[in-house]
Amino acid sequence: MKKRHFTLLILTAVLLLTSCSGNSKKPDNKSNSLTIMGRKSDMEKSYMTRIFDKYETDTGNELNIVAIEDDEFETDAVKKFADGDAPDIFMHFNNADLNRFDVANNFYYLNNESWVDDLTNSSRAYCQDKEGNLLGLPFWESSVSGCFYNKTLLDSLGLKPAATQAEFDVLCQVLTDIGYTPICWPADGCTWMFQFGLDPIFADDPSLLERLNKNEISYSDIPAVTKMVKWVSDAADKGWFGSDYLEDGWSDISLIMGSGKAVMTFIWDTWFYTDFEKGNKYSVDDFALMPAFMNTADNGTYEGGNLNMMMVNKNSKRLEQALGFLSFCADAENYNMAFDEISTVSCFKGQTTNIQSSMVTDAGASIAANERVSTAASKIVGYSADDVSAAFDRMFNKKTDVAGCVKLMDDYRIKKAKGQV
Amino acid sequence: MSMVKKKWLRKLFLPVLMCIIGIAAIIIGIIYFNFISQQIYKDSTNYLGEIYGQVNRSFGAFIERNWGLLKGWGNHLSTSEEVKNSVPEFISKEQEYWGFSDFYFISEDETCMTPDGTEVNIASKGSWDSLTQQRKPIMAGETLSSGQEITVFAVPVQHGKYKGFDFDSIAISYTNKDMANSLNVDAFSGEAKCFIIKNDGSVLLSTQEGGNVFGNYLTYLRAASNLDEKSLEKLNNDWQSGTSGLLQCEIGDVSYCILYQPIGYQDYFLLSAVPQSAVSAGFLSVQKTTTNVLIVIFLIVGAAVVTLITLHNHKQFRKSKIELQYREQMFDVLSNSVDDIFIMLDYEKHSVDYISPNLERLLGIKVKDARDNIRIMEKCAINFNVVIPADELEDIPLNGNRYWECEYMHQTTGERRWYRMTIYHMSIQGVKKYIVVMSDRTQEQQMNQKLQEALTSAKSANEAKSNFLSNMSHDIRTPMNAIVGFSVLLEKDADNPDKVREYTRKITASSHHLLSLINDVLDMSKIESGKTSLNVDKFSLPELLEELNIILMPQAKAKNQSFTIHVQGAPPEQMLGDKLRLNQILINLLSNAIKYTPNNGCVEFIISEIPSAAYQYVKLRFTVKDNGIGMSEEFQKQVFSPFSREVSSLTNKIQGTGLGMAITKNLVDLMGGIIEVESQLGKGSTFTVEMSFALPEQEESDLWFRQKITRMLVADDEEDICLNIKEMMRDTGVDVSFVTEGSAAVEAAVQAHKNGEDFNVILLDWKMPEIDGVETARLIREKIGTDVPILVLTSYDWSEIETEARQVGINAFMPKPFFVSTLWQTIKPLFSEHTEQNDRSEQTTENVMNGKLFLVAEDNELNAEILTEMLNMEGVSCELAVNGLEAVEMFKKSKPGHYDLILMDVQMPVMNGYEATRQIRSCEHAEAATIPIVAMTANTFAEDVRNALDSGMNGHLAKPIDMEAMRELVGRLIGNNENKEK
Repeated sequence: MKKRHFTLLILTAVLLLTSCSGNSKKPDNKSNSLTIMGRKSDMEKSYMTRIFDKYETDTGNELNIVAIEDDEFETDAVKKFADGDAPDIFMHFNNADLNRFDVANNFYYLNNESWVDDLTNSSRAYCQDKEGNLLGLPFWESSVSGCFYNKTLLDSLGLKPAATQAEFDVLCQVLTDIGYTPICWPADGCTWMFQFGLDPIFADDPSLLERLNKNEISYSDIPAVTKMVKWVSDAADKGWFGSDYLEDGWSDISLIMGSGKAVMTFIWDTWFYTDFEKGNKYSVDDFALMPAFMNTADNGTYEGGNLNMMMVNKNSKRLEQALGFLSFCADAENYNMAFDEISTVSCFKGQTTNIQSSMVTDAGASIAANERVSTAASKIVGYSADDVSAAFDRMFNKKTDVAGCVKLMDDYRIKKAKGQV
Repeated sequence: MSMVKKKWLRKLFLPVLMCIIGIAAIIIGIIYFNFISQQIYKDSTNYLGEIYGQVNRSFGAFIERNWGLLKGWGNHLSTSEEVKNSVPEFISKEQEYWGFSDFYFISEDETCMTPDGTEVNIASKGSWDSLTQQRKPIMAGETLSSGQEITVFAVPVQHGKYKGFDFDSIAISYTNKDMANSLNVDAFSGEAKCFIIKNDGSVLLSTQEGGNVFGNYLTYLRAASNLDEKSLEKLNNDWQSGTSGLLQCEIGDVSYCILYQPIGYQDYFLLSAVPQSAVSAGFLSVQKTTTNVLIVIFLIVGAAVVTLITLHNHKQFRKSKIELQYREQMFDVLSNSVDDIFIMLDYEKHSVDYISPNLERLLGIKVKDARDNIRIMEKCAINFNVVIPADELEDIPLNGNRYWECEYMHQTTGERRWYRMTIYHMSIQGVKKYIVVMSDRTQEQQMNQKLQEALTSAKSANEAKSNFLSNMSHDIRTPMNAIVGFSVLLEKDADNPDKVREYTRKITASSHHLLSLINDVLDMSKIESGKTSLNVDKFSLPELLEELNIILMPQAKAKNQSFTIHVQGAPPEQMLGDKLRLNQILINLLSNAIKYTPNNGCVEFIISEIPSAAYQYVKLRFTVKDNGIGMSEEFQKQVFSPFSREVSSLTNKIQGTGLGMAITKNLVDLMGGIIEVESQLGKGSTFTVEMSFALPEQEESDLWFRQKITRMLVADDEEDICLNIKEMMRDTGVDVSFVTEGSAAVEAAVQAHKNGEDFNVILLDWKMPEIDGVETARLIREKIGTDVPILVLTSYDWSEIETEARQVGINAFMPKPFFVSTLWQTIKPLFSEHTEQNDRSEQTTENVMNGKLFLVAEDNELNAEILTEMLNMEGVSCELAVNGLEAVEMFKKSKPGHYDLILMDVQMPVMNGYEATRQIRSCEHAEAATIPIVAMTANTFAEDVRNALDSGMNGHLAKPIDMEAMRELVGRLIGNNENKEK
């Protein structure tokens, strides 16, 4: 799922560059109807339709749902805002593309809404701007990314999961020494891992992100980036990724992890329910979650989900009604109804009906302490998981060194960013 | 035991001994190192035990200290209200001092509270029962909610209350990182890992940074080490029973020493895992040093032994090498002094081990080249295509040999050599070798060849002489038959004067032919016996050519042949040489050419100067070319051999002895020249003779100037001739003008006359187009008078026009080719006033014999009679002596003036002519010294003449006596005497 999001983000960025007319529904002119605009596929999610229906049923208010075709969404939405045809409620991810909508002037800060405290730390953190203003109500399914390990295997070896980078390194080496592949790192086609390492750098110091996006600095000016790249390089050289990692790809992860060939991998929890194949030696119950370690956070990191959030048009004539809609959605009864049986990490503390993996639940304390908002992939302008992966590939194949890899990351990023302007 | 075997054993003794010593050293080394290794391991583990014993005791003291601290604080915290109020400050101060991370108040239900009043839950159910239930101090490993792992030390205290929290125990905690620091051991290069574990293997803490990933060490060892279940069971039993122990195992590729000791509190153990290499590192260092020292000692001793052996071997090797070099050198010298070639081949390596150095001398092949590729010898093989017959070598049995006869040619000199190549097959130290001995058979072969040639030559000579005798028999019998036959007829027809004259003429002709045959035979005999010598004197080339022309022109004319003489270039006219022999050579060639050229044929004689390498010498080429019958190729090869004549229908009709060309060849050889022939049967022959002549000292060249001859006009229709004359006259200083037409000559002469610059001589070609030479002379005389001498140059017989020419004013004739000396001789009389005197002198000579008395010494009665008769016909009276002694006696007895001349035969009985002459010259007769004595001999060679003169004679006449020659000689001798008397 996350993979799909990355692809979508890139697609969105490209689409923003091409101005063309959207194939959107025109909002109704009903004076009392709230207009909610979003990406068509997003608006058709079951939990969304459930909440829309319940709202209309419970309040008797009609909702005017404006669903824009996915591939025209960013362009059309920007145009509508520019044409004064902005909706009352706008659904968007808090990513770099959001900056095109003049957030400060168009959207209402929700810091003081009554439901704010019910938000999980991670979901709240995701929905804030850099000043800490809450931009929207997170109402979305998501996952937690981190290091999933074969707990059964680790226990059988008399080993425990790592809590620090040092422990992780020792764990990897101990496993290597006794013939196991510590980390399943399918270099061919698995492009998401690098952002786990980059997230702590930019999430912990937003100024770096800001300066990077303003092109005041580059990756090579940030020692932590080089440190991360070097750790990955060393890990590969020490055999922590195994001997065939350059040939392994997305489709191999299931077998590698299921067979117990590798003990750990950096992935997200819902992967175990969508892509992990059954019938292997180890099942989903054998796995547990610990932070991902890439030498950028001493206690490791989890990447929080990318959440679609409902933002209120501060210039809307139906501002109060819109805020009321958000409160309706943030009501525990309503969101539990909407997310009933939905596999997702909770956005709300009171969320109980959704299906949350035990792996995430068990690591709850650790996630709470070490989860970071997905930053690199969504906030770095010009970031492309494929580009970063390509740079690392060259390093893995000894066609460049650490510095060369960092430079390539920069080159690709800047090229992409220029293309997006 | 044979000597060979003993020698072999002696050679093997040293290497075998060395091997035994080496193996013994290796075995001792292995035993030693095993012993040392075991000892080191023992010492190392003892050392490990000591180290971690100390660590264990320190850790025990650490626990006791913490508990002691807690107990001390507990009493105050439970009772003193004052202290309770200042707990945070107190704890903070103590924390700073002792280094613990947190302080906890613990309730009976294991709830914990920090001094700031925060309640935390750190206690793991069950593990704290000892504290809360049994009221005993505990040490427990716990994990904070943040994931941080800590070690908690807790003691039961008197029940107290803090900030409303009822507590029965207090505790302090250390982060595992801090704990690890207290357990860390600097020894073992930091590679030691130390754990506090419980007796079930669960790990409380690790000294290794990040080492907390170990959950249960027993499980870990079971999964990761090579320990078998029995060992693991023992380990488990040890831990359950609180027993210390040491074991060795491999984890991954590393060998570890695992040491475990009970801490002495509860069921905790101190476990250390140290790589064996680190444990033994110190000892290994000593071992390594010891080993290195031993190795160095071994190496030094070994090197010394090897050096001694090497030196010994080197000495032996040098000795052997010197001996080998000496032998090689000796063999080289030996082979250099003989003409045999020696080669040693290594058949398996296809290489040449040795080639004797005389190869280059004998065959012109460099030794190096042959060593590089023995096949190079094929280049000089003549009758032996495969030099070393590789395919046949295999057939030679071991220790056997085979030989081949072969012929080689020296690569630079072309000299041929014959060898017997014998190849010996040998095995030298197990290596297959072939020794090639090329034994020189050249002398033997040459000797055989010479013998063969001599035999062939003898046969050939014998055959030639048989042929000659056969020819001679025919050739001699023919004139002899004529002479005898006509003599019979003469007697019969003595009364018929016409027939007598006819028979006499034929007898004379036959006699002359017979004489020439005899002369040739004698000449050849003389040359072949090496008795011929050259009479070198100055001679004139023009004179020589004129004489040849005079002799040969009539012969050619008789056969209506064209006979021309050409001079190419400007050869000198005077040179030194044996004119007589040169004449003989050229006459032979030219007369042969005329003889073997049919009527109306063409004979050409060309004289040309060719470059001479020697200073003061001129080299001339005489070419005699005809279009006659020619010679077969086969005959050309033996044309110069004596007694050889080509037999054909044409030659059979021509008289000849077969000696002429042999004589010619021998004379040319004698004169240092070469003679070659080119001929084609039916097309003619060309003989070429090249020889050098010394040049006489230069004569004065101002003769012309002194005669005031400075300008000459030449008229010839061939411009080349004009130019040749001009070139030849260059050294005389005479300015030569030439024209190519008669009318132009007239014009030039007239113009010169008008200018008052008459030519001194005018030379006209006879046969010119339009106006011939005679007519031109006539016109010139008409125009300018008779002052200027006019000469006619011609290659024709001018006798038929001489009268007419003289009439028109031509002063003289000159034969072609033009020579300066001929011109000089021709025009000299024209400028001289003594011409008439010369004429008178010639007249006197003709009458000098008439009325004289000669003493004739001749032993042969017939010859004496003939001579007497012939002299009588000349008006000479004769007195005969039959030998030399009688002649001497007659002279002595004679009165002075009685004899006018003595004709002395040379070969006479009693006393020969030479001796008789010497006696006459030495006798006391008044005319002993002056009386002219003339030799008469059949020997006509130069040395005969010289011998005659040396004995005191005044002249020499060849038999049969030519009366013309006698008249000339007598005239000269008696005339001189008369002049002297006058």
